[in-house]
This record gives sequence, C-alpha cells and structure tokens, in this order.
Amino acid sequence: MSNDHVSNLMKGHMETLATEGKRADGRGINEYRKVKIEIGMLNTAEGSAMVHLGKTKVLCGIKMLIGRPYGDSPKSGTMMTSTELAPLADQSFDPGPPREQSIELSRVVDRGIRESRMIDFEGLCIEEGEKVWTVFIDLHILDNNGNLFDCCTLAAAAALSNAKIPNVQHGVADKDVDLPVNCWPISCTFGKLGNSVILDPTSEEEGVMSARFTVAHDENGNLRAAQKGMNGAFTDSEIREAVKTARTSDNVLREALKGIQ
Amino acid sequence: MAGQTDMELIKNGVRLDGRKPDELRDVKIVAGVLDNADGSCYLEWGNNKVYAGVFGPMECHPRHKQKADRAIVQARYTMAPFSVNDRKRPGLDRRSTEISYIASQAFERVVMVEEFPKASIRVDMQVVEAHAGTRCAAITAASVALADAGIPMRDMIPACASGKVNDVVVLDLNKEEDNYGQADLPLAIIPSTGEVVLLQLDGHLTPDEFEQAMDLATSGCMDLYEKMRNALDNRYGGSA
Amino acid sequence: MSEDSNNKSNSESARKLVLPGDLMETKSKPGKGIFRKDGRIYSSVLGHSHDKSGYINVNAITGRYKPKTGDKIVAICAETGPSIWRMDIGSAFNSTLHHSESSWKVPFGDTARFLAIGDAIWAEVFMVDAAGSHQISLKKDDCRKLYSGTIVKIDPTNVSRVIGKQGSMITAIRENTQTRIQIGQNGYIWIDGKGEDIALAQKAIETINQEATSKGLTKKIEKLLEK
Repeated sequence: MSNDHVSNLMKGHMETLATEGKRADGRGINEYRKVKIEIGMLNTAEGSAMVHLGKTKVLCGIKMLIGRPYGDSPKSGTMMTSTELAPLADQSFDPGPPREQSIELSRVVDRGIRESRMIDFEGLCIEEGEKVWTVFIDLHILDNNGNLFDCCTLAAAAALSNAKIPNVQHGVADKDVDLPVNCWPISCTFGKLGNSVILDPTSEEEGVMSARFTVAHDENGNLRAAQKGMNGAFTDSEIREAVKTARTSDNVLREALKGIQ
Repeated sequence: MAGQTDMELIKNGVRLDGRKPDELRDVKIVAGVLDNADGSCYLEWGNNKVYAGVFGPMECHPRHKQKADRAIVQARYTMAPFSVNDRKRPGLDRRSTEISYIASQAFERVVMVEEFPKASIRVDMQVVEAHAGTRCAAITAASVALADAGIPMRDMIPACASGKVNDVVVLDLNKEEDNYGQADLPLAIIPSTGEVVLLQLDGHLTPDEFEQAMDLATSGCMDLYEKMRNALDNRYGGSA
Repeated sequence: MSEDSNNKSNSESARKLVLPGDLMETKSKPGKGIFRKDGRIYSSVLGHSHDKSGYINVNAITGRYKPKTGDKIVAICAETGPSIWRMDIGSAFNSTLHHSESSWKVPFGDTARFLAIGDAIWAEVFMVDAAGSHQISLKKDDCRKLYSGTIVKIDPTNVSRVIGKQGSMITAIRENTQTRIQIGQNGYIWIDGKGEDIALAQKAIETINQEATSKGLTKKIEKLLEK
C-alpha cells in the first residue's frame, strides 16, 4: 500500500489524538509497538539477528575480518556500521548509492554502539600495532513501517550479542570465542506531532511529524548518544522530558534483548 | 568453476551432502511476508536465504525509461555483505548487474506488460545468505512475489540449475560443487509451455551431457513450480 | 472432495483459488483476469475464478486498486496544476480531477486555493480510457471535499468484507461507534466523529483488513465493538 500521501485530515486526527495521549493504532504516546527478536539464523555471518518492531523489519549480520588498527590505538579492534535501505522495504527506497537518510541512520546507530563501549575493542587485538579484528555491522532494512533508528540499534545489539570471533577460519586460534561485549545500548526515538511528543513513530506518523529525536542509554541509565533530526524543532523541556521518558520506556526493548540470551 | 579437481564430490552415486544426482536441496517458500511491498516472498533453498519484494505497477521513474505502450520490469538482484563468508562490499557489482538484467528480461516475457503503458514494475531480490544457486533462488522467489502482488502474468517462472561434477551430470549444485565442479547451468522456464526464458552455462559439457543437464534442470524447475503453487495456496487458499 | 462435488462447484459460482497460467476448463466466454492462447483460456492473476452467466472471470485477491467507472472513492491531492489536480487514489497512476469536474469557479492557476496538497475528497471515477488513465469528478451525488475526520487505508480487495453481507458489518461498526463512515472502492475509508470513536472504528476496520480470511472474524469484531 502506498504511504506516499498522508492526508491533512489524518494529520489533524493524529495531532488531536496525541494531545489526549493516544495514537491512531491505539497505543499510548510513550508506548512501543510489539517487539520480536530472533538470533543466529545466518550461517555465513559471525552473528545475526532479525528484529520486528511493529511491522518494521530489520536484519543485521556481523562479519569480522582481520585488519590493521588505527595508528593512535594499536591495541584496539575497529568497527564499521552500514545500512542498506533495500528497495523492497519501501516504495520510496530507490536503488542507488547510499542517500543521506541511510548515512545518518548508520552513523547514529554506530555512535550508540561505539560510545556505549558495547564492544570490548581491546579484546579484539591479535598482534599489537599489526593485526586486529574489524567488526562490520551490516543492517539490512527489509520492511519500513517507521522508526528505523530503534529497530536498527536493537538489531545490531542483538546480532553482536550472539557473535563469535572466527578464529578457526582465519587461523588465529584453534577455537572460536564469543565476541566480548560489555553492555546493552538501547535507543529511543521520539517524534514531534503537532504539540505532542510521541515514542516509536510508524511511517504514517513520520509522514506528518515535524522533528525527530533519538537518545541512547546504557543499562545504568547514562546517555551515550543522541541525535535530533528533520527540519522542525522541540522545545527545551520536550527534550528533557523525552530523555527522562526514554529511561523507563526503553525497558521493554531491554527485556526483549535479555530474553533472547 | 575450477574444472580440474582431485576432490571426490560424488562417490557411488552419492554426493558430499548425501543427495543423489537428481535430487534437489530442501526448499521452503513463504508468500506475503512483507507488509509494505505490494507482493513478497521469502525462500530458503539449502542454506540459501532470499527475500523478494515487488512494487507496482506504478509510475515509471526515471521518466526517460518509460515506454509509451507498455510497462517495464525493473528487476534488481543484490547480495547482502553478510551473505557470504568473505564479506561482500555493499552495492551492485558486475555480476549482480548482469543477473539483474537477465532477470528483468525473463520477467518481461511473462508479465503482461501491455496492460500498463508507461508504468514500471519494480522487483527487488535480496540474497541474505548464499550457498550456490542464488540467482535461481532469487528468480523463483521473485516470481512468487509477482503473483502475490497481483501482477497479471502468463505463468510463474521457476529457476533451477544443473551441472557436472566428477563427470556426472547432477541437479542443483551446492557450494562445493559450484566451486570445484566442471559445469553450472542455471535455467528458468515457463512451466505451461516449456519455453526457456533464462539459460546460462559456465564450464564444459559434451552435447549429450548438455541434453541431460537440460532435462534435469527442467525437472528441477517443475518440482519447484509445485512448491511455488503450494506457497501461494497456503497464503491465500482455503478462503471462501 | 469427490469428483462429483468438484464438477458441481465449478458450474456454481464457487470460488476456487487460481494462479497465473492456470487453464480454465470451461465453455464460458473470457472476462477479466483471463488471457487467451491457442484457443484456450487461462487465468492471468492470483485470484478466485467465478464462472457465471456464460462468462468466466478471475477476481484478483491482491494488487493495487483498478479504477472502474462509477466507483465512489476517497482521493488525496498529490499535486496541483493550473487547471487540474492530480489525485492519489491508490492505483498504479494518480488520477486527474479537472476543474470543470468540480462545482467551484476556479480561476486559472488558482487551483491550490480550493484543494491543496494533502486535502481529501469523496469523489466518483467517471472516466477510464483504453490506455488506462482515469479521471474523477466532484460533481456527482454526494461528492465533496472532506473537512474533518480521518482516512484509513486498507487493501481494496477487502472492501467487501468491511461492508459485509448486505452492509451488516459496516452498519454494526457505524452504530457501535456513532461515526459517519464512507468506504471508497479504492480501499481509502473516511471516518468522522469523536476522536476515540474514530479510533475504535479504525481499529475494527484495520482488524478486518489484517484478518480478512480467518474464521470467526465477525465474532471478533462484535467483541471489539462492545467495549
């Protein structure tokens, strides 16, 4: 079904509902859609996960290859995040080189994982100054029904949580070990709809909201990354409120992630 | 295709993975798995895993590709970076471009493009795990997705490969057989007429072996066709 | 099923799932969703075959909306031109609403003042030409611009399910939610009323769309509406 044109009526209706704390799909304004996480389904990847957030579906594969460390951190492994907005996920995803949307998405997810120190980079050193493991986080969007940020961050975290370092295949050691991870970053994305702020927007809501705010917390309730997007604005208090809300609302995602361990 | 190998890929009529020469790997097909796409399909074939999604018919973009009297089918085949053991860089390479092109042409033979002047039908095939025979898996999945999208067609297109290993003609090469075997012949047909809409050959086949390979691949296609029908029946059948 | 009852159901207007390329064993004339080849007729789409009154049709059960003359639809303005509007009706191409098919006096170039991008209307398809392009009109019956409420989009093939036998389903939804509802043949549905009443009606309609083929749907909707 084409979501190209959201009518002004739908916009007005959604804004009115939001002022009453409700959404068009019956959720509350700070409620996540149903989450489903599956892990380990891809044999060619070192780690993998598929996350359903409502109808949004993202597949994440982790590949690990041997590379050189950066000059200023000779004992640390490296990481790279990329997202593919597969054309089958959304009529508006044209095939072609990565657009700004996919680059922003990759970088925000990357920051959430990197800044939370989820991956123990020191544990990825093979030979100081010469050889380290590079972790590739490749996110494949299969179905876009809004909030790719949270779905991708969750998929990346879930995939990393079941990843194994391919020592045997690369002749590094005689046993594969789990990728060392420290913690679980969870991101929460909000949208500005009229004068209200809603959590976990669907693509219809994304079609009418004026601004977007994503914040990632670790499990100690500390902020690790944030990003405001789109060309509208939030008030100062809306941002602070959202950050507070994120700390409780993200439990649902955290529980889902714990549930698959 | 390595061609020359000391590897015993088939011994006493049994292949490395336990199959007989004329046996297909396990195939699982599910229609209608994505919400946004007009039609979709998820297909597992051995360890291959493919998603196909269809949008259309819709306005053709870019405009200059539009045809005044019919629709065009824009098919795209890509492999995810994590679909192969040696991570593949994202984006299209020459191989994917070639496969996309021949797939588009195969689909244009069956889709009733005359019914939608100036339109485009977009077919996207994403390989998320690859173990030889991905183009056949992708085209088969895309055919189911086209039917799932309600696109009018003369028939669906199953695709299956046959090949040769250790001088034996076999059906449906797996990864080792593809890497170390002597020939690989992917084939796609129109089941109701037997017409060939896609055929490629890589390797060495005598004229007799070619005939055998064609027969095998064709029968593989027909088996696949039944599974495609079942997938759609499971999704939509039984509704009064 | 026995041979006998199979034959029986083919001659009644029983609906059997057919796939593209299926041979239609019938003496009836070809209708829609059918193609001819070498003197025989085949289905061209995934759908249900319907053999009645000497014609065999295959009704597609998936796919975008195909406009038919006389269909009443909800349309959303996608583009404005100097003397026309291009309207999203959920089909392969956008539809055209010509200023002369509205009851407004629209000065040349001033169309956006009457109907802007994102505005919605209740209209009728009044022309579908051989090349497949179509036009809609605001002049027939109760066609008009819509000023309140919201629009819910469902698969056009589920429209009859939302209406129900002799309108039973839609009447139940309207009465239980105290809303005004107009169902476009294109699967775009207009609902108007109080905020939470609209939400309940929307939920009922979306449930029907998601579970159109499952058994016990009617009971499920009845329960939903009782709340």
